Amino acid sequence: MQPLRVPSEMFRFTTGDRSELYSAILHAFGEANERLETALGIDEVRDRLRSVGWFDALSDEDLHAALKQLGDWGLLDNVQNHAENYRTAAEYERRNLQYSLTKLGEAAFAGVQHAMTTLASSGALQTAVLDAIADRLGELNELLRDTAAADRRIFSSLQELEGHLEALRNNTKQFNGELQRLLRAEGVDLTTFHEVKSATVAYLQEFCDQLEQRCHAIASGITEVEEQGVAELHRRALRGAELPPGAGDERRTEWLGHRATRWQGLRIWFHPEDDSAPRAEQLLSVARQAIVTLLQVLERIDDSRKRSSSVASDFRELARWFTRAPDEADLHRMFAAAFGLGSARHAQLIHEDPEVIAPSTPWAEAPAVGVSATLRTGGRKESFARTGRVRDVAELKRQRAERARAERAQLEAAWQRLATDGRARLSDFAELDHTVFQRLLELLGRALAAGRDESGARRASTPDGRAEIELRDPDNRGETTLRTPHGMFTGPDFAVDIRIVGRDLEEPAREAS
Amino acid sequence: MSNLNNQLVVTEREELARCIRVLLANPLLTKQDAPKDFDTARRRHEALRSWFDYYCGWTLTVMPRAGYARLHKSRGDVDASRPARRLRSGRAPFDRRRYALLCVVAAELLATPTTTIGMLAERVRHSTGNDPVVPTFDTSVRSERMAYVDVLRLLESYTVLVTVDGSTENFVETELAQVLYRVDSTLLMRLLSTVTGPSRIADAETDYTDPDELIGKISTDPRYGTTAEHSSRNQRNLWARHSVLRRLFDDPVVYWEDLTEQQRGYAGSQAGRQLIRKAAEEAGFVLEERAEGVLLVDREQIATDSTFPDDSGNAKIAALRLLDELNAHPEGVTTQRLHEATAEMLAREPRWAKSYRSEDGTSRLVDDALRILADFDLVVRYEDRVVPRPAAARYRLDGVKVSSPSEGTHD
Repeated sequence: MQPLRVPSEMFRFTTGDRSELYSAILHAFGEANERLETALGIDEVRDRLRSVGWFDALSDEDLHAALKQLGDWGLLDNVQNHAENYRTAAEYERRNLQYSLTKLGEAAFAGVQHAMTTLASSGALQTAVLDAIADRLGELNELLRDTAAADRRIFSSLQELEGHLEALRNNTKQFNGELQRLLRAEGVDLTTFHEVKSATVAYLQEFCDQLEQRCHAIASGITEVEEQGVAELHRRALRGAELPPGAGDERRTEWLGHRATRWQGLRIWFHPEDDSAPRAEQLLSVARQAIVTLLQVLERIDDSRKRSSSVASDFRELARWFTRAPDEADLHRMFAAAFGLGSARHAQLIHEDPEVIAPSTPWAEAPAVGVSATLRTGGRKESFARTGRVRDVAELKRQRAERARAERAQLEAAWQRLATDGRARLSDFAELDHTVFQRLLELLGRALAAGRDESGARRASTPDGRAEIELRDPDNRGETTLRTPHGMFTGPDFAVDIRIVGRDLEEPAREAS
Repeated sequence: MSNLNNQLVVTEREELARCIRVLLANPLLTKQDAPKDFDTARRRHEALRSWFDYYCGWTLTVMPRAGYARLHKSRGDVDASRPARRLRSGRAPFDRRRYALLCVVAAELLATPTTTIGMLAERVRHSTGNDPVVPTFDTSVRSERMAYVDVLRLLESYTVLVTVDGSTENFVETELAQVLYRVDSTLLMRLLSTVTGPSRIADAETDYTDPDELIGKISTDPRYGTTAEHSSRNQRNLWARHSVLRRLFDDPVVYWEDLTEQQRGYAGSQAGRQLIRKAAEEAGFVLEERAEGVLLVDREQIATDSTFPDDSGNAKIAALRLLDELNAHPEGVTTQRLHEATAEMLAREPRWAKSYRSEDGTSRLVDDALRILADFDLVVRYEDRVVPRPAAARYRLDGVKVSSPSEGTHD
């Protein structure tokens, strides 16, 4: 591939503030060319300008300047016209100069025209073109077999074939471009988008349908022609092309070269020499891919548009709320409610052994959490005891042991209080501490639950075996009443004998109490 | 074998507990800020999701590839103590203009996957220019640019915006600063935690302007029935559970007196209390139950944006001292008296609290200290007096622990 080298200044006329005038002038010359008028005088240029839709006021100087400028860029030539009869010097001045397009000018104008048509046209996937290509190939086959056939017909068929191939390539290229643009489309309103989508999908499906058979027909057509010899085909076409006599051998070789390139192009599309996939198949996969993508993209766009449009209007509405909110606290609360991005907030200090405090305790009566005293003396940065973070296990154990000992001591004291050292009556206790009374009640319960032995006494002991009780019926001594801080207990006046074992275990308890 | 299983179970429990608290403190947890925690959240996604859904009725979305986890906290009973903050020294709360710009910028960002700071400013200008309420954005004013930059930096911290090139800060100095952003529009949509979109409320006939009403409207969840009459018993119970637990996990103290009768009924019932205990334990909190209410303690200080008591900052130390004053007078203390106490404090320690030594230093210190106490729900501030709330007694003086010499070595 040769890199494109556009002659500099070829398209200079399309830029700048006078570009419209320049384009109009070139357009005028192009129109004239169609009518085979190649040279125009200044008056004729003025007339033609109107016909191409340039109606602005234009002085002669301006027109002259414009024509001269185009001449400088090499788009126009001026020629002296001596074939006219001039009646006055002024007329001669005005009319002896004539202008015509140079080759460069023609090319430049053609380029602009082509660009405009490309801009206006839309690509298409035409199955008709594929059919036409197959037909032309068949025709060429026929003509090649028939040595008597006119070379001109071969030439024209070949021309048509190449034309169709060109159309196919351009259309496909354009259509694909449009398709990709459609997939990227932004700002299309949803309803049209839906229509375009479904229409495009249907269109693509129609194209894909039968594409393979058509391609196969073309490929076999190519093979047949090649069997007969492509070189031969091109030679005959060259004869039929009737190139002008001015063209030398060089020109002919070039022409043949062009044909060979085009043929190669055809092969790439439908029947490549190596084993690569023909481009038509790629077209098929592009089309299929497009269908899938289109559906996906639409789903996504649909979804995100629906959501994002509502989310966007949510944000906009919130902006208004913030702007109108009465006071500062409302702003922060609104932010918290709408965004929910705030952090939680919690205390970090805790009582060392929280399990021992009943849930029904008011805060004022529960122990404080123990903030280091150093914290209260401002100014001195001193880390306080992080009771929250590091629990001093040894200390805690000591405290728990302390508590356990205290409880034990209490229990011990209760037992000691109950020990009767021989028979006694319930009425002997008369007044009891609440805990001691509880112990007594526990023992009585156990004893009453046990059966009588042969002597009629009931025996029981606590589960740990510390206390034993021997209980006998009250022998009609009637009822007795025991007083505790919590109230009165009335029951039969049992005869009890309570023994406490293992008094030597009390030593630690003694210390504690 | 069973030993290994036990190990695994323990690990899972610990990870779950930690991650719940991390998410409570960072409802938008990004891989960028906390790679390890994010990784845990990614692995324990399912357990976390069902935990938050069951106890609080909050949705958790984890996006492994995009690198964020979003806990959609939503509450009807929000407080004003957790504003958006400017990411500068001083961390001042957002003002009205910044909040409004935050929303407009967010709306404009939804349209494009990439943008530049200038194009975005232009769009915001255009959008505010057409808005009947929000004042038009004007980039020629420095304070406006400053507000705009604060908003963008906040969005950068949420990883909604990723700076590809340039620095946002430059825009403060010149409108010509060039910054290129990539926008994560999915995350941007997830910034909103509203159950009902604000725009749908606006579509309604009435023109609401009362913030309480608006907050109520956007946090109304159809899950719990539309109105008290139109909800089933199950819906009401669900609402009671979620609303009590949301408060418990988000706020420093839950006082029974602040709850509605229905919420109190739930929290006081045996089932409700058991659920609260279970939830607190699973999240790795210590639950403190008292006669007046409950609070959660996070001894690792993960699930909190601030700590108290703490010696980080003069205001916190002053707050503790004022709390002693308040605990001595459960019926309340006049603001005047607190001023005096603070002035004494300042006078006693001449080298302390240097930033509060100016003209109005004392009243600023009182104000900051009281704000901290209010943030932890330990006091109620009235016009001219301050009344301690029950939980203030946790920090009273009689619980002073006299530091033993060995204690300093524990750090």
